Amino acid sequence: MASAQTNIDLASAPATGTTGLLVSLVPLSQEAFDATLTNLALAFPGETVFVATPDAAPQSSSGSPLRLLPYTVTTVSASPWVLTAADYLNTFKLAQENHATACVLLGAEAQSLHPESIRALAKSALLCDLTLAHYDLGPREGLVNSAMLYPVTRALFGTRPRYPLAIDLGLSLRMAERLATVAQRFTAAGQSDALLWPLNEAATANYTTAEIPISPRILPQPVTPDVNTLLAEIATSLFTDIDAKASFWQRARGTQPTQLITQTAPIAEPPDIAPMLDAFRLAYTNLHEIWSLVLPPNSLLGLKKLSLMSPETFRMPDNLWARIVYDFILAFRLRTINRGHLLGALTPLYLAWVASHLTLISSGTAPEKHIQDVAAAFEADKPYLVSRWRWPDRFNP
Amino acid sequence: MWQQVELALSQSAHRVLVKLASFLPGLLALLLAVIVLTAIGAGLAALLRRTLIAAKFDERLARNPIGPISDWSPANSPTALIARVVFWACFLLGCFIGISAFDSAYPGDSQIFNIIIPYLTHSIGAVLLLIAGTVIARFLERSVLIGAVNAKLQYARFLSLGIKWLVLVLTAAMVLDHLQIGGAVVELAFGILFGGIVLTLALAVGLGSRDIVSRSLERTATFDPIPGDPEYKAHVPTENLRHF
Repeated sequence: MASAQTNIDLASAPATGTTGLLVSLVPLSQEAFDATLTNLALAFPGETVFVATPDAAPQSSSGSPLRLLPYTVTTVSASPWVLTAADYLNTFKLAQENHATACVLLGAEAQSLHPESIRALAKSALLCDLTLAHYDLGPREGLVNSAMLYPVTRALFGTRPRYPLAIDLGLSLRMAERLATVAQRFTAAGQSDALLWPLNEAATANYTTAEIPISPRILPQPVTPDVNTLLAEIATSLFTDIDAKASFWQRARGTQPTQLITQTAPIAEPPDIAPMLDAFRLAYTNLHEIWSLVLPPNSLLGLKKLSLMSPETFRMPDNLWARIVYDFILAFRLRTINRGHLLGALTPLYLAWVASHLTLISSGTAPEKHIQDVAAAFEADKPYLVSRWRWPDRFNP
Repeated sequence: MWQQVELALSQSAHRVLVKLASFLPGLLALLLAVIVLTAIGAGLAALLRRTLIAAKFDERLARNPIGPISDWSPANSPTALIARVVFWACFLLGCFIGISAFDSAYPGDSQIFNIIIPYLTHSIGAVLLLIAGTVIARFLERSVLIGAVNAKLQYARFLSLGIKWLVLVLTAAMVLDHLQIGGAVVELAFGILFGGIVLTLALAVGLGSRDIVSRSLERTATFDPIPGDPEYKAHVPTENLRHF
């Protein structure tokens, strides 16, 4: 997204806003930008809406109810597929200067959003502090989110939304301000590309949250699809946020009600999980020593059993995966080993989970049911994390 | 004859006792300086730790995750790191003060003094080199091992061990050179060992990666791969997954 400080062109901005809604866009191609503007005009017919864009605004926008607020992007983001600190900061600055009461942030590939979806997001943004998009993804998509981001966020912060790192958001002004305050710390240190966790912030501040189904949506993909680097980057950001908010989530109680399970069609052809299993077995042979610094003997025993399973029956128990992730969070906090090494050692375990997930859903289990089961396992095991967080040296078999 | 022997013995004993008498106060001063400064360091570290804990220094730093200090904290917290730095700084200060006191108490024209003090300094440097080399070797070993495993290299363990021993051999050579032990023999042995390890690694990696390199070259080459080559494997994407 627009990872930069903003130079706002106030000359083209109107003096006052009437609806109080600001829609913030990220850099788009000219074609995508035009399509997005058309969709926005259809979403808000006859209503005055501010549209913040880093792209060149067309001159013929005077008759349109869309009021374009161009701003200058000074540096190009290295992570254009997610919202970064600079995006939140830019949005709040523009919202504040134009007296907006709510904001809608639309991520890359925003032209694929239907006007109804944008309108629903905006409507919710006027009612709730934080509205996140709920995407309808296929069984082989958004796997990091399903494996880790959603279960961990739900278990620790007691939140419902399925996509904590959604790229389409609705924000109240106070939520935008809170996120901008957090973002300011990063941008001041030159980390404009830092990821923020709006759901965790909202939960900590006891703000209201909502989730809006967004479908269809083309989700942008990372420029370099290197799972090792990206997993480490995202996990570092999430684990750091968890560490900073420990005093909140240790007190947070309650489990989320069961969500509506969408019956995604089973995978047409059986997935090829052999490369992932090979990666896991190779890692089990070589990284056992490093894992033993992080994981308790019981988890190591579980991994040993996994390494001996055949591809047809390969199944990682949900509670084992939850325990592994929690132990990595603890090791991240305690700096048991170098954090780069720690997150590098997590990748093969994540691939093993993916292999297990794909094997399970190819046997007929609904993908969403399995993900909800995983999330429930994380919730059930939360006392373990809290206990070891407080007393890390306690005996742990 | 016996009188001369007796005289020689008594003179020798006298000289030793005189040297000991002049040596002991300096040694005592050195020990005293180290002990006192260590005690002061421990006290200061404890005081600092309590103050920082009371001021919730770690939590403040955690709320602002940008600071580089927390990245260098060894195991527990930045507070522990600062306390340790203060303690070891006091200890080192004690060592310096003690050596200085020893220097002034001991007669400067002695040959032993002229040898021991520079050698002691070199020894401290050698110990620091050894510690740094061992830490770097372990760090690089793990980095290479994890990187190679994630790159799905079958010889990951071998590669990481090779890197580890390269650094350890380099460290050992530097330490011995710093201590001026072995002279040219160390340099020669180091050259042979280092070169041997590099050659072994190059051969192992080269032979192990033969397929990867050939596939890479075939992909970058403008001409089509040779269909009849039994070693050739077409690159077919085996998975269509979106992790993000």
